[in-house]
Amino acid sequence: MLNSILPLLVDGLANAALIFFVAVGLTLVFSVLRILNVAHGSFYSIGAYGAASLGLWLVSVGANPWLSYPALLVSAALVAALFGPTIERLLVRWTYGKGEAIQILVTFGLFLILEDLQRMVFGVQSLYQDTPMTLLGVTMVGGVVYLNYQILLIVLALIVLIGLRLLIKRTRMGRLLAAVVADREVSEAMGINTDRIFMLAFSIGVFLAALGGALATPTTGVAPGLGAETMVLAFAVAAIGGLGQIEGAAIAAVIVATAKVLAVYFVPALDSVAPYLVMLAVLMVRPQGLFGVAETRRV
Amino acid sequence: MLSIKNLDVSIEGAQILRGVSFDLEAGKTTVLIGRNGAGKTTTLRTVMGLQTKTGGRLMLGKTDLDRHPGYGRAKLGIGYAPEDRRLIPAFTVEENILLPAYATRMQRDERQRRLNEVYDLLPQLKTMGDRPGGGVSGGQGKMVALGRALMVADHVLLLDEPFQGLAPALALEYAQALKRLREARPEIAFLITESSPELLSSIADHSLQIERGLIEMEHGEAA
Repeated sequence: MLNSILPLLVDGLANAALIFFVAVGLTLVFSVLRILNVAHGSFYSIGAYGAASLGLWLVSVGANPWLSYPALLVSAALVAALFGPTIERLLVRWTYGKGEAIQILVTFGLFLILEDLQRMVFGVQSLYQDTPMTLLGVTMVGGVVYLNYQILLIVLALIVLIGLRLLIKRTRMGRLLAAVVADREVSEAMGINTDRIFMLAFSIGVFLAALGGALATPTTGVAPGLGAETMVLAFAVAAIGGLGQIEGAAIAAVIVATAKVLAVYFVPALDSVAPYLVMLAVLMVRPQGLFGVAETRRV
Repeated sequence: MLSIKNLDVSIEGAQILRGVSFDLEAGKTTVLIGRNGAGKTTTLRTVMGLQTKTGGRLMLGKTDLDRHPGYGRAKLGIGYAPEDRRLIPAFTVEENILLPAYATRMQRDERQRRLNEVYDLLPQLKTMGDRPGGGVSGGQGKMVALGRALMVADHVLLLDEPFQGLAPALALEYAQALKRLREARPEIAFLITESSPELLSSIADHSLQIERGLIEMEHGEAA
C-alpha cells in the first residue's frame, strides 16, 4: 500500500513545489499591485532558459558540477534583476489604476514580446541540463526509486513559503508591504515610498517565477511554449487558492499537482484537464477561491 | 512655517482650488472652515503630495515641497490625519501608530520615546494598543489617526475634519486632547479643517473660510 501511495505523494509534492514558485509570485504581485500579470509565465521560462544555458556553459568549461546548484539561483536572481525593475518601471507602472482590460492587454502584449525574445535569444530547440538532479542521486524505499532532487524541490518550496510569511509578518519591509496592500494612498502619506514597494514586489514575483523555471530545468528541460503552459497552470492555482493568498497558493498547488499526478497514474487522458476540472469545481462553490476573502464594500 | 501660495488644483478638468494662499505659523492653530466640496480636503491632500497641483507653491520653512515626493513629507515633519481615519485593519492600534516611524526609518529609541509621548497625550490609546485597527469605533479611530500623525509631526499637523461623526462625549475628549497637545508641543503649527466653526472656536488662533476653492474670509487672532 505504502509503495503505491508514496511515489504518488512524492511526485505530487515535487510537482506542487514547482507550480507553487510561479503561482505564489503571481499571487504576491496581484496582492500588492492589484494587477493580473499575464506575462508572469514568461519569467518562468526565461528562468528555465537562463539556468539551462548557464548550466550547459559551466559543463562546457569543465567547471565543478556542484556549481550547477548556485547557477540555478544566480540565473533566477539575474532574471529578476534584469526584468523586474525595468518592466515594472517602463510598462506595468502605467497600468496602475487603469481598467482590468487594459492591464490584461498590456501584459498579454508583454507576454508575446517576451515569447518572441526567447525564440530570438535561445532558438527553438529544447534545452536540457540535468546535472543538479544526477548529482543528488536516488533513494530506494521498498524497492521504489525516488529522485533526491524531488525531495530538494519540496524542501525549497517549504523554505520559500516560510520565508515569505516571515518577511511579511516579521520584517520592516513586510509591514510596509502589508500597509501598501491595505491602503496605498495613506501609506504614501505616512512616509512609505510606494513606488519602490511596487517595484520590489514585482521583482520578487519575477524572481519566484524564474526560480521555479530554473529548478524545473533539471527535471523537465525547457522548450518554446513552456511560459504559456505554466501561466495557465499558475492562474488555476492562484484562483483556487484565492488571489493574493500565499498559503492558499501553496495548498492549491498541492491540490492541482495531486490531481495531475492522479490523472497521469489512473486516467492519463485527463492529465491536461485535471487541474482545470479542480479549478472549476472549487470556483463553483467558492468564487473567491479556497482562502480568498470576498471583497467588502467600503463605506 | 508652512507657506501656501496661489495653490491651484484641478481634478478631471474641474478646478477645485483657485489661488489658495495662507501661511501656518509655528505654535498657532489655523482652522480652515468650509462646506462639503469647498476644497478643504483637497488643500490638505495637496500639501501631503497626494493630489497633484496645477499651480502655486508650497514651502515648509525654506524647503520647497515640490522637491520632495509625497512620501517624503512625513520625514520633513508633516503629520496628517485623514478625514476617514484610514487605519490599516490588519495592524493593531499600536502598529498603526508606529507605521510612520517604520516608514521613515526612525531609530528604535526615538520611536519608543515618541510612542510614549503619544500615549501620555492620548492615554486612551494605550489601553487599546493590542486591538486590531479594523476593530475600533469611528471615534476611537480618529484618536488613533491623531496619534499616528503625531509620530512624525515635528513641524506641522494636518487634521482633516477630526470632529466629523464624533459623538458629543468623544468630540469633547478629542478637543481636550488637542488642548493637551497644544500645551505639550507648542512649536507645532496646526491646520484643522472643519465644516462647523463653533466646534473649534475655543482652540483656533486663525480662521479661514474656504468656498468653492477660494479663501473668502480671514479672521485674525481669536480670543
